[in-house]
Amino acid sequence: MSKSHLFLSQKIKSLLEKRKSREALEALVLISVVTCLNMVFGYFAAAFAFYLSFFKWDYIGSMEFVGLKNFMVIFEDLWRGINGAYFFQAPFYTGLKNILLYTAIVVPTQTVLAMILAAFANQKIKGVQFYKVSYFLPAVTSPVIIALIFIWLFMKQGFINYMLQFVAPGFAPDWINDKNYLLYAIALVAIWGTSGHFMVSFLAAMQSIPRDIYEAAMLEGAGPIRRFIYITVPMLKPMIVYVVVLGLIGALQMFDLAWVMAGSRGGPGGAGYTMALDIYNEAFINLRPGVAAAKSIFLFVLIFSITYVFQKKYKVMAR
Amino acid sequence: MRPSLKLTKMGWIALTYFVLSLFAFIYLSPFIRSFVASFMTWEQASKYPPEWIPNPFTLENYMKLFRLELFPRWIFNTALYAGLIVVGNIVFSSMAGYAFARLKFPGRDALFSALLALLMIPIFVTLVPNYIIIYRLGLIDNIVGLALLSLANVPSTFLMRQYFLSLPQEVFDAARIDGCGPIKSFFYIGLPLAKPALGAVAVYQFLGAWNAFLGPLVFLRSPENFTLPVGLSFAFQRSMWTEYTPIIAGSLVAAAPTIVLFIALNKYLIKGIVVQAGKG
Repeated sequence: MSKSHLFLSQKIKSLLEKRKSREALEALVLISVVTCLNMVFGYFAAAFAFYLSFFKWDYIGSMEFVGLKNFMVIFEDLWRGINGAYFFQAPFYTGLKNILLYTAIVVPTQTVLAMILAAFANQKIKGVQFYKVSYFLPAVTSPVIIALIFIWLFMKQGFINYMLQFVAPGFAPDWINDKNYLLYAIALVAIWGTSGHFMVSFLAAMQSIPRDIYEAAMLEGAGPIRRFIYITVPMLKPMIVYVVVLGLIGALQMFDLAWVMAGSRGGPGGAGYTMALDIYNEAFINLRPGVAAAKSIFLFVLIFSITYVFQKKYKVMAR
Repeated sequence: MRPSLKLTKMGWIALTYFVLSLFAFIYLSPFIRSFVASFMTWEQASKYPPEWIPNPFTLENYMKLFRLELFPRWIFNTALYAGLIVVGNIVFSSMAGYAFARLKFPGRDALFSALLALLMIPIFVTLVPNYIIIYRLGLIDNIVGLALLSLANVPSTFLMRQYFLSLPQEVFDAARIDGCGPIKSFFYIGLPLAKPALGAVAVYQFLGAWNAFLGPLVFLRSPENFTLPVGLSFAFQRSMWTEYTPIIAGSLVAAAPTIVLFIALNKYLIKGIVVQAGKG
């Protein structure tokens, strides 16, 4: 009796085991393509980039180990730039300087603008869907297409300067061809292109803030602006962090807009040159994949540390 | 309510409509302006102050585009690339998303975290090694080689996994009791239930692939293999036309599918974006 019982339980156990291993096997089949492709084009490629950054190579000949020399190329470039060298002697420095200025303009502006627009739309008004759709339209259009259209709008005798004369009479720069304005033109296009997308995210987050908090504040006599500063902004903190981090990641590796509006060589005086353009040029024009890999690792560390510090700081503030 | 308070409230609503409409104009005017100008001669489109009614009305800009033999090829290439990416992601990421959400196997969560961690690596880090891999495979200047890189994206796998996690476990248990194996229950139960998520993956991947620039720029070499964004920036930089209006017309043709798709699906798309953002 007990013997057969034992036998039965063993049989069930082995059946379950069999089922378990079959499940694992079929799961492996299901995940195989995603895993393989991402292991090769993601992890293997990243590891290879790291490896490559210690070698001198021209894609064809044999690879020559050069230690940290590729990284020295970066720091020499930066050093020359700090000492006031021109764009052609210090392209990486120019790219870094431009992208930091660009990020400092674009990320705060698009975040604040998106938040203000969302706050306006978060009221009992008609046609919110129309506003959402029109604000979102740039986000579904290719940056290249947007840049091509804006090159024309930014011409000296173009639409933007025409509209500007109603706001700032006499201010009509040659945006694309003037090295003092090119980067700002690119930044304006970027803000135009992404702020609407973030506005929609903010609006959704605002709509989930409980209404009674606002009603209580209204009873206390707080006007719309004070309600925005003292209720909306603090309640939105997680969404603000999300939008800023996404914005930072996007802005620091900006490529498409600069490629079209400034050209791969960065336009007049390298005014529109970015780190991403420099990595592209090292890899595919100068044919120095080792230096390109080192520069891309520099970019990765830069993005990672800026977003890390920002997230860390925010979390400290929230507690 | 006191009359003065009512007045400030009405003033506030008026300000709201003014600000929202002003920005709607700012976001829409480049599209409207280029749509109108695409039917103008370059002479009229570049006039200052700008004119709004095409006179003479001309289709010459669009004709010039299609007289260029490359242009229809660019449309075809872009559609092929987007099609491959959409199909690949629908098939592979739904399979993987289901396995990560619903099946038990050793190392599942570690592997999924490892895939998610890939999102932190900038595309510029993996660009050169991937170029070398694709080159070694002999697939440079080939849409299929380019598509291989994003055939099974992590974000679509994540989206599918989240969706399968949100379905009730009982459905899958019932199938299991009836003797359905994991793969069988994926095809007969998981997939039919996952239609909304599959639609979302398809639309996002289509938008991403149709608008992609860096990948096509690096991995495609000859003009007849370009996609629309690369082709148009190439046409612009090579000054293929002395006028700018064909570039504007071309930009509109290239943007049309995404704009139409977005306007048709705007309610779902905007909701989807918000859901994704909430996860962050």
